[in-house]
Amino acid sequence: MLDVLIIGAGPAGLSAANACREWDLNVLVIDEFPQPGGRLLGQLHQEPNGKWWNGIEETRMLLEKADALGADIRCGLSAFHIEKASHGFSVYTNQGVFDTANLLIATGAAESPVPIPGWTLPGVMSIGAAQVMTNVHRVRVGNRGIIVGVNVLSAAIARELQLAGVEIHSMALPALNIVNEEHGHPRKVMERLVRMAHLAPSAWIRFGSQFAKIDWMRNLAVKFYPKHGVKMWGLPIHIRKAVTEICGKDQVEAVTICDITAEGERIPGTEQTIEVDFVCIAGGLYPLAELAAVIGCPFQYIEELGGHVPVHNEQMETPLEGLYVAGNITGIESAKVARAQGALAGLSIVKRMCRESEDLKQKIHEAKQNVRTIREQVTIQFHPGIHQGRLKMETVFKEVCDQ
Amino acid sequence: MDKIIICRCEEVDLEEIEQTVNKYGSSARETKLRTRAGMGYCGGRTCRPMIDTILEQLTGEKPKDKIPLKVQPPVRPVSLARLGDKTHHE
Ligand SMILES: Cc1cc2nc3c(=O)[nH]c(=O)nc-3n(C[C@H](O)[C@H](O)[C@H](O)COP(=O)(O)OP(=O)(O)OC[C@H]3O[C@@H](n4cnc5c(N)ncnc54)[C@H](O)[C@@H]3O)c2cc1C
Ligand code: FES
Repeated sequence: MLDVLIIGAGPAGLSAANACREWDLNVLVIDEFPQPGGRLLGQLHQEPNGKWWNGIEETRMLLEKADALGADIRCGLSAFHIEKASHGFSVYTNQGVFDTANLLIATGAAESPVPIPGWTLPGVMSIGAAQVMTNVHRVRVGNRGIIVGVNVLSAAIARELQLAGVEIHSMALPALNIVNEEHGHPRKVMERLVRMAHLAPSAWIRFGSQFAKIDWMRNLAVKFYPKHGVKMWGLPIHIRKAVTEICGKDQVEAVTICDITAEGERIPGTEQTIEVDFVCIAGGLYPLAELAAVIGCPFQYIEELGGHVPVHNEQMETPLEGLYVAGNITGIESAKVARAQGALAGLSIVKRMCRESEDLKQKIHEAKQNVRTIREQVTIQFHPGIHQGRLKMETVFKEVCDQ
Repeated sequence: MDKIIICRCEEVDLEEIEQTVNKYGSSARETKLRTRAGMGYCGGRTCRPMIDTILEQLTGEKPKDKIPLKVQPPVRPVSLARLGDKTHHE
């Protein structure tokens, strides 16, 4: 039997494994992808200080440490069910059942789709799929494409595609319908962009600072948004144009795009056809928490964290004895935060398995502090209200445990 | 306007979901059972967030603390042989 089973070999899972191995726990990490690293593998962006964040390099460092500490990491293993057992948990995978005393679920995030007519045609992919194909598999996603959905993630990945030599025509919003209200409304999109511009890479700063942060300025910015878009890295970003349809017989051939009002309504007669051979849709991320739901962990909907999140405290413990969560499953944040959360979760598991010492207490305190510091400093933030979201979760955890 | 697929596994479009909700005043769960949206190969991983949003817009059914559309195991497609296999690793 295992001391700890970790589901997910992303930055959270790997750093948790390392923390557990440092205290000599018997650890197994499983991941359904053919190689470890999670979403880290696809990441490549420049920070405001000019340094590059290279996910493949970051993964290599985590794996080197895991290797030195003798952590067991197995890929191609997919967990599809979890049961409580007298010893802890039984985890069902495509390669048999694993028994463990403690379980850490670090399954990361999934992408929300953006439904518009034609979005199921071959050649349409999520922005994350384009990232993985480009940076992990090194496959060209197409010759000329358009990105539907303007947010921090899609802008970062647009840049990665550009760097890989893929032509991006532009970025625009999805045509408004009842499902994509959040992504198709110019004012809402602008709101998010401006509130986050201060922390993002240099090109973003220039982009954001063109629109002051005062309400009326922002409204004017939406109202008088340039017809030709605002260029970032030479790439036109439109928030007053929407893609109304993706066209093609057997695969993507073109999109129809039209001008929209500040409220997202289509302006008749402005339709235009743009020839493309691929389309990336970007509807944002939500925590991938299905396994925590199956085991009966309580949940809370917190918008700032990205949706439904398993209830947990700052030490990454859930109300279920022996069950821990870390990384994007606890709320959508950058890879650096996920990595720090993983280390903290690892130490919390150590605390349950080993006798508590002054040394361990101190380490947990430091790890907690580290998560906070990194959260303050990160350059990529997915929701401006992340701090409030985290505070809400603390309160919910206390309420659930009091019951 | 051209149709917008919501559940791609079961090919259920927005109009069908809207009509079902309007006709039966159904909850997210009932809508799923009536249209099969969310009951396809991917187990609803692709369409579940969209179905929740549609219901919230149409009926005001808020995403509560609990997951509105309950998640059932297996959470990944798995063969029957594998599902029945109870071999535990050492
Ligand atoms: C498309 C995309 C792009 C992103 N780009 C950036 C970026 O540029 N910069 C940034 O800071 N953040 C980015 N993020 C946020 C990203 O989620 C975090 O940076 C970070 O990778 C989260 O780490 P994690 O360990 O929580 O999860 P992940 O890195 O997502 O790792 C989770 C792992 O769990 C595995 N897994 C999931 N379910 C199962 C299962 N049932 N059985 C077995 N294994 C399973 C997955 O295969 C995956 O490898 C991106 C996220 C996505 C989805
Ligand atoms: S998309 Fe609906 S079940 Fe797969």
